[in-house]
Amino acid sequence: MRAAKSPGEVKKTRTICPYCGVGCSVDILSKEDRIVGIHPAMDGPANKGALCVKGQFAYDFVQHTDRLKKPLVRGDDGQLHETDWDTALDRAADGFKKVLEEHGRYATYGIASGRAPHEAAYSMQKFIRATYGTHRIDNCSRA
Amino acid sequence: MSNPLADMDKPEVIFAIGTNMTECHPVAATGLKKALAKGAKLIVADPRRIRLAELADVYLPIRVGSDVALLLAMAHVIAREGLVDKEFIATRTTGFDAFLGHLNDFTPEWASSICEVPAADIEQAALFYGQAERGAIYYTLGITEHICGVDNVQSLCNLVLMTGNIGREGTGINPMRGQNNIQGAGDCGAVPQNFPGFQPITDPENVKKFAQVYQQPLMDTGDYATKVDALNRCGNEIRAILIDGENTVVTDPDRNHCEHALKSLDHLVVIDIFLTETGQLADVVLPATGFGETDGVQANTERRVQRLRAAVPPQGEAKPDWWIIAQIAQRMGTPGFEFTSAKEVFNELCSLSPIYAGLDWDRIDKGEYQWPVPHKDHPGTPILHEKEFKNGKGVFKVIGYRDPAEVIDDNFPFWLTTGRRLEAYHSRTQTGRSEGIDYLLSEETLEIHPDDLARLEVADGETVRMASRRGEIEIKVEATTRSPRGTVFTSFSFAEVAVNELTGSGYDPVTQTAELKVCPVRLTPLTLPATTADRN
Repeated sequence: MRAAKSPGEVKKTRTICPYCGVGCSVDILSKEDRIVGIHPAMDGPANKGALCVKGQFAYDFVQHTDRLKKPLVRGDDGQLHETDWDTALDRAADGFKKVLEEHGRYATYGIASGRAPHEAAYSMQKFIRATYGTHRIDNCSRA
Repeated sequence: MSNPLADMDKPEVIFAIGTNMTECHPVAATGLKKALAKGAKLIVADPRRIRLAELADVYLPIRVGSDVALLLAMAHVIAREGLVDKEFIATRTTGFDAFLGHLNDFTPEWASSICEVPAADIEQAALFYGQAERGAIYYTLGITEHICGVDNVQSLCNLVLMTGNIGREGTGINPMRGQNNIQGAGDCGAVPQNFPGFQPITDPENVKKFAQVYQQPLMDTGDYATKVDALNRCGNEIRAILIDGENTVVTDPDRNHCEHALKSLDHLVVIDIFLTETGQLADVVLPATGFGETDGVQANTERRVQRLRAAVPPQGEAKPDWWIIAQIAQRMGTPGFEFTSAKEVFNELCSLSPIYAGLDWDRIDKGEYQWPVPHKDHPGTPILHEKEFKNGKGVFKVIGYRDPAEVIDDNFPFWLTTGRRLEAYHSRTQTGRSEGIDYLLSEETLEIHPDDLARLEVADGETVRMASRRGEIEIKVEATTRSPRGTVFTSFSFAEVAVNELTGSGYDPVTQTAELKVCPVRLTPLTLPATTADRN
């Protein structure tokens, strides 16, 4: 294991694999702020120690240089530019407000993720239902 | 799934239809292999000779989209041979007599002409399943991604009901969910027809409850729109979309339609961990925390509710999805978004969802609960429908076979079916950025039978042009007998091989699930000029 060669303590964090719907329990092995490995959890209720090639090895994406690190907003030049959270969130909310004012409460739609946790999906449906009183909400299961 | 994953090594007979489990749910497939080692029989129905087919006692390489015909004929044989569970039918079901009458004409010989498999094999499959004390059905998107997806599922339910293979260990009807929290998205109410916990929006009591809790007096009763509806109405009725963690333009059918729809919006906000093809169309892109950076909850395919834990700090300024959505909601003046932790969000969900009523953040620490968990003293429900069905009795449905939305003809003579591969996940925003995985599978190919290649006069490894009625792509061919003659296969994982420019021939009228498993195509060697006369 690559991790064994570098100095420092390995920390184990129990969580669930991010790929298919089987929900294998895994231990993330981390050193300081880096993920250095994934171990299957022998006592995982869904997997009892088993893990597939994606779950075991496909974790590099988490700390890949391509990760979005700052909010982006489209500028007058038509390009996306990095900005701070307040500017981006204001811009996001202002756009939804304008559509609500101009086109009414049926004009906005929410698409939740089948990959993000419960809290994301719950918040998304609450955002649509509480803000608009509509059921213009779905997730990616139809695709 | 009606039954837990732990049950997978317990059936006497396993019927796997439209599920490439060894590639898409590899760990679940190990349970199935254990059952085989204990002597269980395996029936596999799949157009492609997938790895599971090699393990099968009966392998039915049915033509894409012919599942209903196969299942009608299996029911015919089970009824004819007196293999029905009379007591179960009498006490737990309704509508059997009408169903029995309907089955008369649907002989294995009739199905054989549609499914293109021998009648004797259909007969044998029906006998195995019908005679089993414990028969379990497993299926995935090969059943649902059709214009007749609901018919397919209900046909499977008919087999389950007539044999009483439900509500007991080692039986059941078990869809394998494809994404880590697609079950959870439904549980949480991120679906048009249901509030959290599958409480229908048509029930005035539910509407009243959520109108009050969410402080929204205008809450609609019954009216809804699916994502398919929304994409069809972009630029007209729909003017703004908030997308969380979905690469819509790559994973959805008919890519041109989808891209056009999103571009016609006044306002598009995308929350994701990478700048995806979909994010590139947005007005605002908000960076979310990912795996290993997020505290939260997800539910797996067997309804097990499990904790996610952060191990490392987020990349850059990335924030949890729930925090981002709450910030937008607060700026919109929407009440009830003063959450300060994932725990608070989850506990609010539990308080509003009867199937989660017995759960909270602390109780799910070890992941031992499978919903429904109706109260705090309840142990959870590993096996559904033990004593009764949710709505009382199981209903037999009278279903007829229909052709796919598009069928092959002289212009589009090959069946294209799409799916997933072991080493890639969906649009590869994750696996495409994981070194070893990218090495294992770095490019997409079109699986095609060697005889078909010879007929096209194309060599293995060459690139062909593949066209449907909606679009055209170029793709490298791979000769393999995994593909039957006349049927080709590729995944939708690689953006550079945008197979979803071709798909989108039709949708199930009930669920609006796209027929991603069937798309007639034409293959032309690159050396010949393209013909676009048939595109509309």
